[in-house]
Amino acid sequence: MTDTIAGAHRDADSYHAPRRASLGVRLLRSYRTEIAIAVAIILIELVVSLWSPQALSYGNIANIAQASAPLILMSLGVFLVIATSGIDLSVGSTFSLTGMIAGLALSGGMAWPLACFVALGVGLVVGAINGGLVTFVGLAPFVVTLITFAVGGSLAFVVTDGHSIAILDPDFWRLNGGELVPGLANYVLFCIVAVAALEFALRKLVLGRWIYAIGSNDKAARLLGIPVWAVRFGVYAASGLFASFASLISLSYISNSEATSGANMMLQAIAACVIGGASLFGGTGSAIGAMLGAVMITVIQNGVNLIGINSFWQGSVTGLVILIAVLIDRLTKMRA
Amino acid sequence: MSASSPDFILEAVDIEKSFGATSVLRRADLRIARGEIHALLGGNGAGKSTLIRILCGLLRRDGGTLRVDGQEEASPNAIAVVFQELALLPHMTVAENIYLPHRHRGLERVRAAERREEARAALAQIDETLAREALDTPVAEIDLHQRQLVEIARALSSGARLLLLDEPTANLTFAESERLFSILRRLASRGIATLIVSHRMNEIRAVADVCTILRDGRTVVNRQPLTELSDAAIVEAMGQKGAMRAETAHAAIRATAGTTVSIEGPGLSVTLPPGSVLGLAGAPGGPSRLIDTLIGANTDLHWRIAMDGALRHFAVPAEAVRQGVGYVSGDRAEKGLLVTLPILDNVVAAARIAGRRWFAGRREARVTQDALERLAIKAGSIDDSPLTLSGGTQQKLLLARWLERIPRLLVLEEPTRGVDIGTKREIYAIIRDMAARGAVVVWWSTEFSELTEICDRIVAFDLRGTVSGVIEAGNISEVALARATGMAA
Amino acid sequence: MSRMKTLGLVAAAALALGAATASSGTAEAKKLTVAYIAPSLDISYWQWVAYGAKTKAAELGMDYIEMDSHNSPVDQMTNVRTAITRGVDAIVMGPVSSTSTPPVLRLLKEKNIPIAFTGIGPQPGETDYTSAVTANNYEAGKAEGSFVCALAKERGGSQVGMLSLPQDRENAQKYLKGAKESFAADGCELVQVLQTKGLTVREAVDQANDLLTAHPDVKAIYGMYDEAATGAAKVLQTRGLVGKIGVATADGSPTTVKLLRDGVIQGLFLQEAGGQGIEAVQQVHNALTGAAVTKDLPLAEPLVTSKDIDSAAAQAKLKRVYPPAAGLY
Repeated sequence: MTDTIAGAHRDADSYHAPRRASLGVRLLRSYRTEIAIAVAIILIELVVSLWSPQALSYGNIANIAQASAPLILMSLGVFLVIATSGIDLSVGSTFSLTGMIAGLALSGGMAWPLACFVALGVGLVVGAINGGLVTFVGLAPFVVTLITFAVGGSLAFVVTDGHSIAILDPDFWRLNGGELVPGLANYVLFCIVAVAALEFALRKLVLGRWIYAIGSNDKAARLLGIPVWAVRFGVYAASGLFASFASLISLSYISNSEATSGANMMLQAIAACVIGGASLFGGTGSAIGAMLGAVMITVIQNGVNLIGINSFWQGSVTGLVILIAVLIDRLTKMRA
Repeated sequence: MSASSPDFILEAVDIEKSFGATSVLRRADLRIARGEIHALLGGNGAGKSTLIRILCGLLRRDGGTLRVDGQEEASPNAIAVVFQELALLPHMTVAENIYLPHRHRGLERVRAAERREEARAALAQIDETLAREALDTPVAEIDLHQRQLVEIARALSSGARLLLLDEPTANLTFAESERLFSILRRLASRGIATLIVSHRMNEIRAVADVCTILRDGRTVVNRQPLTELSDAAIVEAMGQKGAMRAETAHAAIRATAGTTVSIEGPGLSVTLPPGSVLGLAGAPGGPSRLIDTLIGANTDLHWRIAMDGALRHFAVPAEAVRQGVGYVSGDRAEKGLLVTLPILDNVVAAARIAGRRWFAGRREARVTQDALERLAIKAGSIDDSPLTLSGGTQQKLLLARWLERIPRLLVLEEPTRGVDIGTKREIYAIIRDMAARGAVVVWWSTEFSELTEICDRIVAFDLRGTVSGVIEAGNISEVALARATGMAA
Repeated sequence: MSRMKTLGLVAAAALALGAATASSGTAEAKKLTVAYIAPSLDISYWQWVAYGAKTKAAELGMDYIEMDSHNSPVDQMTNVRTAITRGVDAIVMGPVSSTSTPPVLRLLKEKNIPIAFTGIGPQPGETDYTSAVTANNYEAGKAEGSFVCALAKERGGSQVGMLSLPQDRENAQKYLKGAKESFAADGCELVQVLQTKGLTVREAVDQANDLLTAHPDVKAIYGMYDEAATGAAKVLQTRGLVGKIGVATADGSPTTVKLLRDGVIQGLFLQEAGGQGIEAVQQVHNALTGAAVTKDLPLAEPLVTSKDIDSAAAQAKLKRVYPPAAGLY
């Protein structure tokens, strides 16, 4: 029993120290949203399998994993930015631009590992520009990333004059499809490692807690001594980096770089974060949530195709699911 | 109860209001006659702002009667508040700001020329020059004190006969304040009454005729002419001394180990041994510049801080924290809590910085539990949001941040704002405890009663933000503070 | 009073400016100018049309300018007005849509400027245009339908799937109509039509995957655009199904030509992008010089297969699709 401070005890008798629930219960509680999404994904798959039994086949699940991998990686980066109450609209353009530059480098005969570094450099540069303008110049994230979105998207066309490039280096294809760990395709491995590392960092590293703290109350965070500028700069740079990495994985899979490849992905990535429990006001959500959000978007897309609904409905279904996810989140939080 | 007198523009009798279990107004009375300038005084938490919000209809009263112009159902425009955080639309012109609020029907056509003329007339009653020169200027481009006049014009043009001014001179220069007062007097001569809330004794005496004083939600002085009240009597009436002083007689704290902090600046040079508590009193301008320098939030080069003789200059708060400077603000929502993070993170956040930690370890749960126990903070779980706690408890939570490593210098900015008396007492005890363990405490408060109770020494700042005196232990009294700061509590 | 004065000044300035523009226009009128207004130069197809138009204009001794409507009818109209202001003698246009053409035609009729459409024709019922050089999508759909059905039959099945352009497009509807007629006639079953939104390979890959998952007995895939075939080919390569499932597509690009050479896809129905630009410029030039014009000029979509790709005839057709800078033939 610790001694209490004299006089601090108005009603010592009624005081009970807060009790902490067991680890299991705590995990269940803090991953409420994530568990709900995982359940929802399984439910969607079950419903789809009523029409199309192949939905639950190994092949289809591998398809979903492959199709969602780039979106997962991109969403992780976007989540870091959203957690600090920022926004990154430039990731789609960064994805396209990275693909075009990597395509140029590879088709120009550059060794593929070197080309990958160059490509990641693209994301880092775009991210650093975003971070720099947001933190050091003090412009609004929406405006800054809207600018880099526009410029990046146009540069993606400029670099090859709009031509798409076929990537013929089979070694590069193994970046996505190879098996660094036998029995586990690289795209799955990368996603698992990235999600696990990020989730660990966000929960167990002080740096991760700072990201949430800044999103929660950046003024208070600064007064506490948290290096707000450095962290904020860092998340934008990381977001660019993740977008570029996502692009490389996609490029390695598709083996064709196109200037419009990332066009639809920015909104999907933001949606993935929101479905996964992140608030656009910052301070909440998790890497696992962002991943599940991305998987859910892909599962809907896949389900719509398997059932044979006109694919124009995908957007509506996705919108409806986001609405339901957000409502459920709101309800569970009101209860808690 | 006597029948309402037609001489009163406003009669509020036996007003009651509570928030949950806390009762804020307990049968408060306020009567304002036509054309008088009436001062409403009271310490923090006395219920002034709650009363004002009830008067202008922003809050519903729990009990009591309210008559405006002798009628219970008054026109909503008869009373107008001139807000502290000026409520104008910055991108619209002065004229538009004056006439737009009366357009009840959104689809009605704005007869601009006609409306503009009405606005001009309303503003001209207050300030001819402004009406002539700035009518079509966007509000964002005129001065702060001019905006205040625009607000008053807006109130008048909507038919107000009673103006409520809450701390109207907080951001005004002396000359600007004088101008405002002469306008208020002119309006009074035309039958328009003013209720003014201010902490500045001199101002109140200069402008107001009568005053009403609230304490703990009750009216303790009811409509007394100011000429009949001495400064000492006012301070006495406002003070919560009876309640506060009961238990803890003031005794200097002796700490054996710690850091000596010295502060030098214009008009001030103090050396603070470990365990000493330095109070800062006065209008926000002066103390906040010193505090921002101490915590590295915004460095003012006029101030020089030394710790154990070594000059310290903090460019960012992180440096201050690493040097052992702790900070707690009463502005919990803005400057304190991390609302989306659990209690645990809120408690250990400071130690993580000071200790240059990389990992959010398991030990932190233990540390948090200890801190909550020591401060008797009632929380469901350390994984809950701090928003599950009451305001006073949230304030204790912010102090809990600095328990694991007692700071060498603890800087407090109104740490008891909006906190009930019981919790205030607990907060005093916590701060004393930290001082006893070697912390040097610098404490700004707008409540003189708590400064006189706890501080060894108090630096008074005048209304211009400059140091007007240092009051040493033997001479500390609320009257002395009122004199040195020009403010009444 | 002063307002009138200002108005007068503005009017005078406008007149002066107009006169200056007009005189500069007449001064250079000896060399004819043609403007090519593309719906969206982001899309390589329209770049290739531009290439054809530009080459032909140079050949005919015309000046050539190029404009991009960014898929917006408003931008398109602005471009037309700008072109008129710049004093062009003829316009070649890939319209944003058929329905966007009537106001353009009204304006150009007033100014008496010849216009030829490429790729997408004018609104049905409109007659005030010089020429419409289009692809015969319906016939091409029929031909590709037969070809794809034959691919399925060769592989011992009758189910086919389609990766379609958005069906709100007229050309997509015509392709589909033709294809369906052929499937019905030749005894094939079209089990699924998936429409693209983004026209990216990535999307086509996901769709081809889903198609083959939902319908494992599909033996041939009908692609309506290059990226569809590229995506389908990628899926076949990944699943080890190259040759076991047949693929054909409309359009043609260096990427699909390469896939054709490698035998991953079997047929390409070439939409002669460059050829459309060439013909359209020829038609407006005819109109300006008083030669005969062909009002409706639907170009066939010739088939190139993996077997005849290297023939001189096939190579000549390819050259009417895309410029050498775009890639290998």
